[in-house]
Amino acid sequence: MTSQTARALGASLRYEFRMQVRKPSVWIVPALTVVLFLLIGGSLLRDLFDPDESSDDARTTVVGLAVQVHTLLSIGYGCLLADRLVRDDRLRVAPILDATPARPSARLVGKYLGAGAATAVPILAVYFGFAAAYAVHTGAPDALGWALATCAVVIVPGLLFVAAFALAVPLIMPAPLFRVFFVGYWLWGNVVAPDMMPTLARTLIHPLGGYPLDALLDFHGIDGGDTWAGPVPGATLNFLRPDPTPTTAWLSIAVLLALAAVALAGGHAVRARRA
Amino acid sequence: MRPLTLWRYEARRAGWAALLGPPVAVALGVSAALVNTMPGDATKARILLGALEMAVPLAAGVGCASLVGRDPAVELQLAAPTPYRVTLLRRLAVTLVWAAMVAGLTAAVLIATGWWARWPANHGPFAGQLTWAAPTVGLGAVGFVAGAVFRSPAAAGALVSTVWTFQQLFADLAQEHLPGRLLYLFATTRGPVPGDWTGNRLALLGAAATLVALALVVLARSERLIGEEDE
Repeated sequence: MTSQTARALGASLRYEFRMQVRKPSVWIVPALTVVLFLLIGGSLLRDLFDPDESSDDARTTVVGLAVQVHTLLSIGYGCLLADRLVRDDRLRVAPILDATPARPSARLVGKYLGAGAATAVPILAVYFGFAAAYAVHTGAPDALGWALATCAVVIVPGLLFVAAFALAVPLIMPAPLFRVFFVGYWLWGNVVAPDMMPTLARTLIHPLGGYPLDALLDFHGIDGGDTWAGPVPGATLNFLRPDPTPTTAWLSIAVLLALAAVALAGGHAVRARRA
Repeated sequence: MRPLTLWRYEARRAGWAALLGPPVAVALGVSAALVNTMPGDATKARILLGALEMAVPLAAGVGCASLVGRDPAVELQLAAPTPYRVTLLRRLAVTLVWAAMVAGLTAAVLIATGWWARWPANHGPFAGQLTWAAPTVGLGAVGFVAGAVFRSPAAAGALVSTVWTFQQLFADLAQEHLPGRLLYLFATTRGPVPGDWTGNRLALLGAAATLVALALVVLARSERLIGEEDE
């Protein structure tokens, strides 16, 4: 990477981050989601401090918290990022930016990382806020370590995957239509039982992080009875569901990041053709 | 301007997503029913009704969330004799009527082919149309008022999607108490208390009317609409 490319990437990353993190809606949407979370009884967030409801084990509790936060707040994350790349065209600033010496690919990666990181700030603030409160409340400082590990192997790869598609796909369809597809995909590809219909749930392409949850964090649900990855008897697409091991967990993360890179490269190619 | 031309124009301004969303949602729902491998017609019928009760409202809700903040020169709209909020109300009507046409046609096909009756909690061919009408209008109103308050299709669409996902993932918890049951969007296909169905549908319609009225009050402050949307 030439130094000019690195500078362009760094500058657009910083600018996109600052622009996005100051948007009120980036904070309002996660805040309202947390309010809904707290209103609906029985969810782990509300029961985090109830010894009868939460697990005794700090690891199980903070990883379970991550699953809930990741499942729900990622919806708003993808929807909020969907207008970021098409925005340059809509505001007609794309030709001006294209006329600068900064390479479009560097600006795209900068926008991806900057806007993606800024939109993730409230999500991570919610997660680490609750994890820290739990650690103090129960006197279990290792909860914060587990929260960091979960964030690194589950939340960050999942959000990077979502952000790449949220940026690229609205180039080929209206952003609101992408939001509808994305929500449908999120439910179908993460939650639907594999023996009900062909789904990407529990496969290597699982942005909710089934393999890392199972093989790296040894998480099997709050009650310990759930499985989050691996083959399901009688299900289709089982060739995408190897047995969960640390190797397949890292492979799953690599597949998510590779698909994110493919989506970004596709978005870059679409923009280059239109320019 | 002739009325038909006006409505055609409003349909264009409502955007492609508002027009493509409902048919795409129905197509995805029907595909899910076709590839479903669970035994029994009732499961398949439930997914087909789910396409109407879940997928169409999501598409309509996100469409309605994207109405405010689309006009590039909103000052021109604010200077026109027709109040801008009336224009937006027309686009809301276009979005919802289109979703209703798609859902109604799908429901007619399901009734004619007998799939409607194969879901035990179907509530008949006439009152049963509230299966899609109540959640579509309800989520549409949530999207419209969120769009009016945030002036950002991204934020409003995110909120509609989050509410929808919440009710999907926490179906039992959301219906634990009466207020939650009355405002639950998917009472036909996932409602545990069949006796609450009519009340639930009417409550959704009532809540939708209240939210649209609230949106109109917010939109009356036209100075809020001037300037770029919340970028």
